[in-house]
Amino acid sequence: MTPALELQGISSGYGEALVLREVDLTLAPGEVLAVLGKNGMGKSTLLKTVMGFLPLAAGQVRLFGESIGGHPPHVVARAAVAYTPQEQALFQDLSVEDNLRLGLRRDRQLRVGIERAGEIFPFLPQRLAQRAGTLSGGEQKMLLVARALLCQPRLMLIDEITEGLQPSVIERLSVALRAECERTGVSILLIEQNVGFARGLAQRYAVMKRGELVDQGAMHGEDTAARIAAHLNV
Amino acid sequence: MSATVLDIITTAALLYAVAAGLLIVFGVMKIINFAHGAFLTVGGYAALAVTHWGLNPWFSLPAAFVAGCACGMLIERVVMRPLYSRPLDAILATWGLGIILGQLITLAFGREVQFVRSPLAGTMNFLGTAYSEYRLSVVLAAAVLAGALGLALNGTRLGLNTRAVIMNENLARALGIDSARVRFGTFSLGAGLASLAGALITPLSSVDLNMGVPWLVNAFMLVLVSGVSLISLGIACLVLGGAQVLVSTYLNPILGGLTIVVLAALLLRLRPKGFSRD
Amino acid sequence: MTDTRRDSDLRLVLGLGALALASVALGPYILPTFLINSLLRAILYAAVALTVDVLWGYTGILTFGQSAFFGIGAYAVGLVFTHMGFSASHALLALVLSLVVSASTALLVGWLSFYPGASPLYASVVTLALPIVVTQILFSAGTFTGSSSGLSGFESFDISIEIWFWISGTFLVLLTGVAWLFVRSDAGRMLVAIRENEARCEYLGISVSRLKILLLMAAALVAALSGYLFASMQMVVAPEYAGFVFGTELVIWVALGGRGSLVGPVLGTLFIDVGSAYLSGNLPYVWKLLVGVAFVVVIVAFPGGLLPLPMALLRRLRGIPPPARGRGPMLELAEPRALPGLRGDSASALVLEGVCKNFGSLRVLDGISFRAGRGELLSVVGPNGAGKTTLMRCISDGAERSRGRVLINGFDTGRLPPERCVAFGIGRKFQTANTFDSLTVAQSLRIARSRLERPWLLHCSRTLALPDAALQVIRATGLDEHLDMAVRHLSHGQKQALELAMVLALEPNVLLLDEPTAGLTKAERTLIGRILRDLTEHHGLCILLVEHDLDFVREVSSRVIVLHQGQILLDATVAEVVESELVRSIYAGVGSHGESPS
Repeated sequence: MTPALELQGISSGYGEALVLREVDLTLAPGEVLAVLGKNGMGKSTLLKTVMGFLPLAAGQVRLFGESIGGHPPHVVARAAVAYTPQEQALFQDLSVEDNLRLGLRRDRQLRVGIERAGEIFPFLPQRLAQRAGTLSGGEQKMLLVARALLCQPRLMLIDEITEGLQPSVIERLSVALRAECERTGVSILLIEQNVGFARGLAQRYAVMKRGELVDQGAMHGEDTAARIAAHLNV
Repeated sequence: MSATVLDIITTAALLYAVAAGLLIVFGVMKIINFAHGAFLTVGGYAALAVTHWGLNPWFSLPAAFVAGCACGMLIERVVMRPLYSRPLDAILATWGLGIILGQLITLAFGREVQFVRSPLAGTMNFLGTAYSEYRLSVVLAAAVLAGALGLALNGTRLGLNTRAVIMNENLARALGIDSARVRFGTFSLGAGLASLAGALITPLSSVDLNMGVPWLVNAFMLVLVSGVSLISLGIACLVLGGAQVLVSTYLNPILGGLTIVVLAALLLRLRPKGFSRD
Repeated sequence: MTDTRRDSDLRLVLGLGALALASVALGPYILPTFLINSLLRAILYAAVALTVDVLWGYTGILTFGQSAFFGIGAYAVGLVFTHMGFSASHALLALVLSLVVSASTALLVGWLSFYPGASPLYASVVTLALPIVVTQILFSAGTFTGSSSGLSGFESFDISIEIWFWISGTFLVLLTGVAWLFVRSDAGRMLVAIRENEARCEYLGISVSRLKILLLMAAALVAALSGYLFASMQMVVAPEYAGFVFGTELVIWVALGGRGSLVGPVLGTLFIDVGSAYLSGNLPYVWKLLVGVAFVVVIVAFPGGLLPLPMALLRRLRGIPPPARGRGPMLELAEPRALPGLRGDSASALVLEGVCKNFGSLRVLDGISFRAGRGELLSVVGPNGAGKTTLMRCISDGAERSRGRVLINGFDTGRLPPERCVAFGIGRKFQTANTFDSLTVAQSLRIARSRLERPWLLHCSRTLALPDAALQVIRATGLDEHLDMAVRHLSHGQKQALELAMVLALEPNVLLLDEPTAGLTKAERTLIGRILRDLTEHHGLCILLVEHDLDFVREVSSRVIVLHQGQILLDATVAEVVESELVRSIYAGVGSHGESPS
């Protein structure tokens, strides 16, 4: 079966400084892979490289079998890839509705989209006119996930969605994403520091250290917990 | 008295028409377009050509808009695109383009000062004051322009995409918006609007190569104090344009010409946000 | 740079200068009168272009306003000689007037343009407005200034055209030589530092706004002097000489010649101005069109201008490699001095009282209070978004705080900008290595020392005195082997070490470090850790460290503060924090589902 995402020996970074070094990674259709690791290890850079925000210094990126290295971000996004960045992920000064609209390519699907968003997060349809920047931190993350799901993605790239959130909100995000996986078979590349959240969602994990993947394995293996703990020093 | 009020309103309308195109280019591309003055001149000469051909003077407005858009499209593709990552150089390049456009116009039309026919030559009685019909029609034109721009930006999907690029270009791209096309469209539209404004101005003054320059600097200042809001721009045009009319009428017309520049520079020094709310 | 290389540089500039002076001396005998006449004008324009190059090419201030100062100099002559008549004392009066008026105008423009946080675009637009304001004033003064036709026919110095050529030619050659020495001097490097990284300069205690204003005033004086010579020689002044078109032409000449090369703008101005004197008669519009096209092509395709092109070609043809780098200055130990601003009576090096920071309605820091003493290494940990970097900013920049007080060595920093806070003894290292990419290691360190040791204006010092702590960092990381290497060629770790050394060169006793080990190798981290411990134990520094790596924190800290959602959750010893279940759960997010992987 063609992998949803296939990275072959990719290196990239900012200017002359390489942050990622020869990363190999494969994500099967319908699979959720959590990339774990501390801050400053290159996890966010990985997603930015896949999206085309950073040029590839070496290697190949294939999306459902097609090489997308060197494509600009909007082309990658239009291949049904939903990216939720860690910071500045919403248009703070736009309304909730406009933020949702921007998740869709055409306004025609908006009504259906908002209905679906309301099924996942019931507070959203009542708050359409509110400015996104005035939502609480947790609500903003839920809006972010709703927007990403609206475009019916085949691949999601999620960057530390749980950061700074209360456990109850994390649980709701987890439920929403799990339901989407079951419903549509979307593949997810998840960047996380919250191991508990990652365990609830992912079938596989990978650990990134200083721009390299140092360990990969099944999330629910016998010694997984100990291995992750050893890598993260907790 | 009511003549002064009308002067303030018509001046603000003219300033708004001139600065609107500059503002949207500034919002999307984050550069001040120095070729704006030249696009204004292009509009003036488009109106002149319409007069020469003996067409209805009202026809000069669409003609100017089309000519400006065409210039903008060509320039964005050839010159602006390679300079996306060097904004200060992009500013300089627009300046050079202004020179090139100006010289091309001179080669085509000669350098002497010329005049176009006004579509409305008469005056009308407005609250007891006889006032130029054409100046009043400019207010209408600016209002239509403001309404159309506001509707396009706030009421259409394309406008939403444009606003998204203005607010956060990278996020917009991550959502599948081709920001290069938004930049192309904006620059062309900005050029077309400048040219349209040029055609609006010409019946009130003469057509010559440097007709854009005095407007250009005032428009820069208005855009800088407005941030990227069309509403703030309207307020800035009324307040600073009003000050200009008052100084010109009651003090000295030459000092009046400096009012906007000096007030805006001081305003930005004391309140860097200018007229924008946050 | 080695001594021999420095000497050969000096020989080169002296040789070229002598050659240029010789051509100035011989010019009137060889060249036709028409060419002399157009050169006279072009030479003075070139002097103004030189000031544009120093402002824009080196310092990054794109200015359209130098024509205004030229015009002020010219009108001082025209007005004094027309209304008071010509005499030696009146010539002196005109000179004084042109210098005083231009300098005070520059001061005003600088105050408007260069406030902390001003955008470079705003500064450019102000310089664009200046010539417009000046010409309008000239217009409005009626017969006093001659309005739009200007002033002419006034009596002036009775000097032959040959002598004027010698005077202005010598003026230009000397000016270029002095500018050449200045931009290569220790002080001149500061221009590049400002262009590359204003924030780093401010946090090194350099008042960027003040320096820019001073530089603008100096440039205004030179431009006014050129205008003075111009009007005295041509006996005519007109508003165009102060105008906005001339101001933009200057920028075009500089760009075409090659910004940041001094010689390029001078040659560019001479060629284009003389060329237009010849050609604009025959091909008036086409000539300007060609200049415009050349300008756009150069900006798009050759941003370095035209001068570097033949130079590179020459180099390739003759097979000469680009100039090799020498070894850089000798390092030496700076005289120990009492720490700046250190007050004997304050027990705590750093005190925070109720510090708050709001972004709009969002409260990022909420009532942070703590004290830290000398010799203490206090680590701040917490998840992303806890407000750690904001805390660093609020300590080192008075304008950043929404509420609360910060005392450094007993001094209340109030709302002072970072460069003033540095004087109280604080040094801040940024999160990502924050350096000057196109300067060398030694030049960067010298800029860091400039607050304590005034740099040379016209030459480079052969020694570089640094405090013990900075020397240690440099030697331990091997940077002393690369003193003459451009910073952009350093590895990430070396850049981090260089920035740390630069901050230590300020001789601070309160050190703020934002993730100094991010992206470093294990060996580099161990080294940095050892250096930090040494700084607290042997140099008595108080260090505030933001760090994600809990291992590193455990190794080096004497105390730990846990920050969460803008508040201090825990202020305790290392052991207590490591034991704390609460810290684990909020820091790594582990256990938020009641399960722990270990």
